[in-house]
Amino acid sequence: MATTNIAGQRRQELIAGYSFVAPALIILLVFLFIPMFFTLWMSFRDWSGITPPAESGAVGLQWYERLLVLDNVRRTDFFTAFKNTFYYALGVVPTQTVLALLLAVIANQQLLRFKGFFRTTFYFPSITSSVAIGLIFLWIYQSGGILNQVIKAVNPAYRNISWMNDPTGIIHNTLAVFGLTLRTAPAWLTETNVLGLTLWQWLSGPSVTMTALMMLVIWTTAGTMMLVFLAALQDIPRPLYEAASVDGATSVQQFFSITVPMLRPTIFFVVTLGLIGTFQVFDQMFVMTSGGPAGTTTSLAYLIYRAGFNDSQMGLASAISVLLFLIIFTATLIQRRIFSDRAVA
Amino acid sequence: MKKQILYATAALLVAILAVTACGGGTTPTAAPPPTTATQPTTAPEATTAPATTAPQATTAPSGSATKLQLLGWSSSDAENNLLNTIVDQFNKSQTQYTASFDPSPNYDQALQTALAGGAPPDVFYVDSLKFPDLMKNNVLATPPANAIQDPDDFYPSLKAAFTANGTFYCPPKDFSTLALIYNKKMLDAAGVKPPTTWDELKAAAEKLTDSSKGVYGLALSADAARWVAFLYQAGGTVLDANGKMNIDTPEAKVALDYYTGLLAAGYAVTPDKVDSGWNGEAFGKEKVAMVVEGNWMVPFLKSDFPNVEYDIAELPAGPKGKATMAFTVCYGVPKNGAHLDGSWQFVNALTNKQGMKEWTDLGLAMPTRKSLRDGWVQKFPNLKVFLDGADYSHPWQFGPGFTVVTDAINKGIQEIAAGQATSESVLKTVQKAGEDVLAQ
Amino acid sequence: MAQQAQAIHVPATRAAGGAPAWLVSLATIFRYLILFAFALIFLAPFIFAIANSFKTAPQIAQDALNLIPNPFTLENYLKLTRGAANVPLWTFNSLLFAGVVTVGRVFLCSLAGYALARISFPGRNIVFLAVLATMMIPGVVLLIPRFIILKQMNLLATYPGGILPILVDAFGIFLMKQFFESLPGEVEEAARIDGATPFQIFWRVSLPMATAPLIALTIFAFQGTWNELQHFLIALGPTARDLWPLTLGLATLRGAGVGQQLDFGLFLAGSILMTLPMALIFIVFQRYFVESSSHSAVKG
Repeated sequence: MATTNIAGQRRQELIAGYSFVAPALIILLVFLFIPMFFTLWMSFRDWSGITPPAESGAVGLQWYERLLVLDNVRRTDFFTAFKNTFYYALGVVPTQTVLALLLAVIANQQLLRFKGFFRTTFYFPSITSSVAIGLIFLWIYQSGGILNQVIKAVNPAYRNISWMNDPTGIIHNTLAVFGLTLRTAPAWLTETNVLGLTLWQWLSGPSVTMTALMMLVIWTTAGTMMLVFLAALQDIPRPLYEAASVDGATSVQQFFSITVPMLRPTIFFVVTLGLIGTFQVFDQMFVMTSGGPAGTTTSLAYLIYRAGFNDSQMGLASAISVLLFLIIFTATLIQRRIFSDRAVA
Repeated sequence: MKKQILYATAALLVAILAVTACGGGTTPTAAPPPTTATQPTTAPEATTAPATTAPQATTAPSGSATKLQLLGWSSSDAENNLLNTIVDQFNKSQTQYTASFDPSPNYDQALQTALAGGAPPDVFYVDSLKFPDLMKNNVLATPPANAIQDPDDFYPSLKAAFTANGTFYCPPKDFSTLALIYNKKMLDAAGVKPPTTWDELKAAAEKLTDSSKGVYGLALSADAARWVAFLYQAGGTVLDANGKMNIDTPEAKVALDYYTGLLAAGYAVTPDKVDSGWNGEAFGKEKVAMVVEGNWMVPFLKSDFPNVEYDIAELPAGPKGKATMAFTVCYGVPKNGAHLDGSWQFVNALTNKQGMKEWTDLGLAMPTRKSLRDGWVQKFPNLKVFLDGADYSHPWQFGPGFTVVTDAINKGIQEIAAGQATSESVLKTVQKAGEDVLAQ
Repeated sequence: MAQQAQAIHVPATRAAGGAPAWLVSLATIFRYLILFAFALIFLAPFIFAIANSFKTAPQIAQDALNLIPNPFTLENYLKLTRGAANVPLWTFNSLLFAGVVTVGRVFLCSLAGYALARISFPGRNIVFLAVLATMMIPGVVLLIPRFIILKQMNLLATYPGGILPILVDAFGIFLMKQFFESLPGEVEEAARIDGATPFQIFWRVSLPMATAPLIALTIFAFQGTWNELQHFLIALGPTARDLWPLTLGLATLRGAGVGQQLDFGLFLAGSILMTLPMALIFIVFQRYFVESSSHSAVKG
């Protein structure tokens, strides 16, 4: 009796499970999975994107060889884009996560006045389309635009930064303050070539223009992330804080001993989302910079677009896509490992 | 309590839907069907010869005309409007087809996507730079006999730009060359004569620059399509006689140092430095006194900055004499087009002697037909400089995949201007990029 | 009622817990200063954009920081309805896409997320891993293959072609699964013993507890679709102007080819017009967001 019951329940669960998942799964299958394998297949072929795909020639691992091994223009482009994207993610993900968390904690106070106003304001940029924001900031970031005007009003000695057209790296610029430039740098920095870029080029940091895009993206997404944190904060049982208060814990102590541990899954979620999002960054480059100046805002996703649609190299674009996929996958795994280690500790 | 929340959410969703539904009520829903090329391809009229269907076409109501899509781009609203007048003339001249011009942003992508999907536009612009790529992919239709009126009337160099394996694939729509366009008042005020050599250009730019007022001598974008003219003036080349990449040369270094030197010295600026989207806009705003641009500047200035007094001079000669670039675009017809007869009829109407005359008489671009040259010069004597440039111009065409190389040049110019690279390293990189692309 | 008492209770205890009253009020002032500073940072670009969208081109160039347009002009907005621009229709399209996709996603993602979290069926982990993997596919990778698939299905340049590929996203499933996993199982177990079918349990028991993630999902879906550019460019094509959403239409304002003229008045007007419907929806329904957020804080 009991066994048939269990078997019956199993069958019911099987049917229910698959019928619940089916509609979503079919759509993912048709519009995500099949294209994904199509991309993988395409990365072994020389397809222009114009002729029928079946007419393309097989090239084996040639694209991967060009991207990763052989010293050639594709490899330099790929690793330049990788560098740009890496610096971008490194700047954006921690900043937006910390900022969102702090804003959420501050805004979550029970007796806060103007709560609605703050929530609306903070969230507002993220409901706005990236195209609209891109166009607005294109204007704000002009050489004679309002950002420079405001800075100049505060500091009359300020010389206009050409936000949308300054390819100099911010680490390079910092080093220049200490007298270290391309001309004064030691030869081992400027001559050693690693994966198509010199060590000096690797060290550049994000360009000024990339930094401007990073600020814009943080400005846009911090609100969304804040909302996620707010929702999670409200799930933390109040009595925990009360007990801590009674024990004499300060707000800062409470933050680190209660809030952060309780929010760990949410932080994981936000960082994962942030990583995946930043590694795919595209819209801002598309609307605002077209990957320039001097290629310093060409992200990996934008490189894929350029290779596929401007250079008619769909095979190459597919190979970069596969590599980008692997990069994101690895980054997420590493990040997952870090978070689970903390959980044990 | 929780149920209420669920209802609130549901209410929100319903409200959103209601908003969209209301929007539906107030928006004109009788919008015409999208004018894409993905139309019922079974229309028999489209596949029969124009001559035999002529009577049918005249009796047919105008609404049943087959739609033809011309995909292209436009540099300004002014250009857009001018081309539309010509397209309208075609539409009025016959009843079988209704053509419409679709200027598309991100043209390369739009075209590639359309071609890849097998639903190509009926006619599309082909830039001379991209022609080798399209040939490599075998997408252009071979013109049927007599589809192109009097092909030998086209300038040989322009015809050659769209000829492959002995076939002249598509008639060039028009062409432009680069010249030095200068602001008369600003040059007069500074007592500067239009420069004719590199040294004069540098001296003039220096004299015209007043950075405290935000005014500069010259707008020079970090653009291979401008710099390559300087490269030829210095006696350099992109490809050698055998079609091998040959840009890492002393001549190229001279050209690159000169070009980036103007930027570094502050006599020339990239347009963004003066809050402009391109050189022409900086010139129109009188932030710069000179630009290296083509005849597309003429209608643009006329419509957007009518009060700017300007004149046109030949590009200053470099160490090895005069040189300029010739840019041209042809009207391509896709191999798998749905209305090939209509496409060729349309292309012919745009590029035959009469159509070409009407189009180029609007003053935007220069006729690609030799027979129209004299008439055009009479009509636009002040633009003669652009036409004269054709004699010493170089085509903007290298080989398939060369956007990678032009990108590398653009990037290199910016890097040098920002002190991030040297001209030696940039030329090496560009040389390597070109070799890589040609080897593919 | 209860939560109000609780709310007052917390800071009161803290004040009594040691810190002097002046320090608490100083901290409060500090907190408000931070919040207002950030509010200003988040709002200022929009305020300046609105003000400048009513100015003439020379005024924008010379007097951008002035918040009062003088002379006041609607020219920039009028330009949006002229020529190739059809902002009213594009707005309708944007609302249609966003509305349909949101409803579809909320339902399909919570259904799938629930199954992955609460129903143990063979192959569940594989399905979930697959879902997780799709989350990591850069969208830009899929454009061409997806285009070909849409073409094969004859869905190019149609509303369904614009909607179907983005009707489900892995992120939504992930979000709902995370949430349902955190729910205690007792209530469901009770319902199951009462003979409820899995769908009844999902619909009547579990889903009503999922307000917070559902709201988040609604917001993300609506906003994501509203912002979507790449997908529509491919699925609707560069020529199907009558199907375009605002993002695609507005992107054309930058023009194409060599003459990328920067008509900032037009950009700003377009951006503001595009932001307006979202802002209205958000402000009108903000009450629901805030109310439901604070309600969901009172667990049980």
